[in-house]
Amino acid sequence: MSLKKLLKPFKLISIARRSGVVTVLYPYQKSLITTEFRGKISIDATKCMGCGACVNACPPNALTLSRRDDTIILNYFIGRCIFCGRCAEVCPVGAITVTHEFELASTSTRDLNESLVHRIERCSGCGGGLGATSRMLQYVILHSPASENYVHLCPDCRKKKLIQSLAMKMGARTEDYEG
Amino acid sequence: MRVDPLKKSIWVFHLNTGSCNACDIEILDALTPYFDVERFGIKLVASPRHADLVLLTGPITRKTLPKVINALRAVPRPRYVLAIGACAVGGGIWYDTYSVIGGVEELKKILEENGIEIDRIVYVPGCPARPEAIIYGVAVLLGLVEQKVHGEVKIAE
Repeated sequence: MSLKKLLKPFKLISIARRSGVVTVLYPYQKSLITTEFRGKISIDATKCMGCGACVNACPPNALTLSRRDDTIILNYFIGRCIFCGRCAEVCPVGAITVTHEFELASTSTRDLNESLVHRIERCSGCGGGLGATSRMLQYVILHSPASENYVHLCPDCRKKKLIQSLAMKMGARTEDYEG
Repeated sequence: MRVDPLKKSIWVFHLNTGSCNACDIEILDALTPYFDVERFGIKLVASPRHADLVLLTGPITRKTLPKVINALRAVPRPRYVLAIGACAVGGGIWYDTYSVIGGVEELKKILEENGIEIDRIVYVPGCPARPEAIIYGVAVLLGLVEQKVHGEVKIAE
């Protein structure tokens, strides 16, 4: 019995030898991420059109869309992101890609905010704000070419144009509208 | 009050403030031999009085708030906090729910009212944060590595 007790450490050494070292030497060794791993998203500023499809899909509202004066601001707060990848799934132009980046520690939450500023297009009739970016208009024209004539107008100008064209068809003269 | 920086190994205290346990499992994964943070001198202790760093997980529910304040008051200076996971950083899914405080940002204001100063907070996003990300967060806290993310504003022309 006592001999068995004495030999116990040697038995453990043999077991440890057989199983080997399992520790991952993280900072010096490549991390264990697979190709399907979802990390931080990256928004391509040259493709994004500011439509807000990603904002609707985002479960924790990490992506938010706000309008200030002449701009639409798409803000991405990494601190609230749950890395589900739904935004990349719904993006109509494929501007959002999911990267493998996971080393996101920072000393302030301000560093965890990324924003993308879009400029709002103006109505070609009255010059008021249109509520859409130029890339959004291009996207609409690309998918329904018939809209090219009135897509640059605001709803009020569009109504005016429609009534005007109807009246013209019914036989009204242009001078009636000028005055 | 001037506080001397840490010179020796850091001891950590694990504080769950109403998280779903995913971040807690990742912390345990970092502590066990697979990632083995004891090779950096990081050691788990049972009492906040022995700890240098508090590993805070969860969105801080109203029920746990008094206990969180007590635990953080017990930590000796320098007092460091590592906010782990989306909930601790910005409230996560529950950021605007009635029953939670909504992350460490909000907790900081409440602690200031109570006269508790935190010397440094490092935010580790992730849902849950990977064990590697937690180790990286500790390295950022100690100033061993530069942080990779910087808030940026891009303009789409």
